[in-house]
Amino acid sequence: MKLQHYLGGLEGLDSEPLNFEKQIFVEPWETRIFGIHVAMMGLSQHLSDTPLQYPLKSIPTTFKSTWTWADLRKGAEAMNPFDYFRFRYYEKWLGGISGFFMQEGYITEEQLDARTAVYLEKPDAPLPSVSEPTIDEQIVDYLRRGDPAIREVDYQPKFSVGQKIEVKDVLSTDHTRLPGYLRNRTGSIEKVYEGAYAYLCSTGPDGLGEPMYVYSVKFDPKNIWGDMAEGNSWVYADLFEVYVEAAK
Amino acid sequence: MSERFSYRADREAYSTAKIKALESLLIEKGIISSETVDKVLKFFETDFGPFNGAKLIARAWVDPEFKARLLANTPAAIAEMDFPPGMAGAEGEYMEVVENTPEVHNLIVCTLCSCYPWPMLGLPPYWYKDPTFRARAVKEPRKVLKEFGLELDESKEVRVWDSSAQIRWFVLPERPAGTENMSETELAALVTPEAMMGVAQAKVSA
Repeated sequence: MKLQHYLGGLEGLDSEPLNFEKQIFVEPWETRIFGIHVAMMGLSQHLSDTPLQYPLKSIPTTFKSTWTWADLRKGAEAMNPFDYFRFRYYEKWLGGISGFFMQEGYITEEQLDARTAVYLEKPDAPLPSVSEPTIDEQIVDYLRRGDPAIREVDYQPKFSVGQKIEVKDVLSTDHTRLPGYLRNRTGSIEKVYEGAYAYLCSTGPDGLGEPMYVYSVKFDPKNIWGDMAEGNSWVYADLFEVYVEAAK
Repeated sequence: MSERFSYRADREAYSTAKIKALESLLIEKGIISSETVDKVLKFFETDFGPFNGAKLIARAWVDPEFKARLLANTPAAIAEMDFPPGMAGAEGEYMEVVENTPEVHNLIVCTLCSCYPWPMLGLPPYWYKDPTFRARAVKEPRKVLKEFGLELDESKEVRVWDSSAQIRWFVLPERPAGTENMSETELAALVTPEAMMGVAQAKVSA
């Protein structure tokens, strides 16, 4: 059980009142890790095998891994919860992404440490200059066309609008898209989304991966938080079919 | 922030050097080019950003039929606009808009991460990514909104949308009073990312 899967509703956190920080990046360096993440997404090998069949095989990059949101999220979900709260958003990305490049054997920790020492000493030392427009064009093409998840299936949704459902308490391991606070709660189907959604990876016993229908499910907060719920409000979540069953 | 956690004294200088080290190694190893990161960042200044969402909202305010189409089929309505190519691209493959009215207020959150409709809104601000906001928004939305400066009457229904699958959500805010004579361009200037996520209202600036 991972705290990051149960963040919704967690009490006792710091910063009341909330920090209404409207900036996207609070330090200039944060922009760079965001750019690298997008590059990895646009060069991810799995894109060749999606319906859009991006021409990854012919792109002159040495990146031969799959990197999607699921990988970034898995990394964040795997963090020690204290570190999850300790580090700022893009600090987590920097740790997760540099760890991935080491784990996949593209760079070593020694190389990264040595190069970091160089730039600590000489912050204005330039980056290497290597031009490769084909790589950059692939990344922009990915941004423009995305990675559509809907697949054709030959079956119908199990549930229909207005139906009462209960959220299952599936076994989630390294990654899930089921918010913990909704487990075992009852709600009603608000909308059945058109088409079946594949997920970026298999989540194992948690159940995602193969295409399946997704539902907008409406919850009465009293069924989640009891007397602590605020009045005259509703909570909606988008739940994959494998996470719900007919209410008993 | 509390002093609960300790950080290295050169926290930002170290990250600045480490990210530059990583980028330089990735260029050397032939993974990315020297221009890749700058091109991605430029794309989010020119193609994907809240300037698109603001234009969309302004159009919905002036054209009731467009508004109806936007609420019924968000991607199809977006495709009618004169936007740069790619509005159904990354993190915009599936989008839904919900409408704020005198009776209903909508708030968007992602309790599991920070899902955000990139083509229409660009990248999420820090408040949206804050674990504390994400933890509290689904349990005490009225209290959270009040801390953000938006006090809602008890009679107004609050709907919180947790973006837990691949659908990306944003809000059609209420058109502010006294804007009857404004052009679409002037109206778009009133629409902030915060208004389109439901933590603020669109306002005529004082």
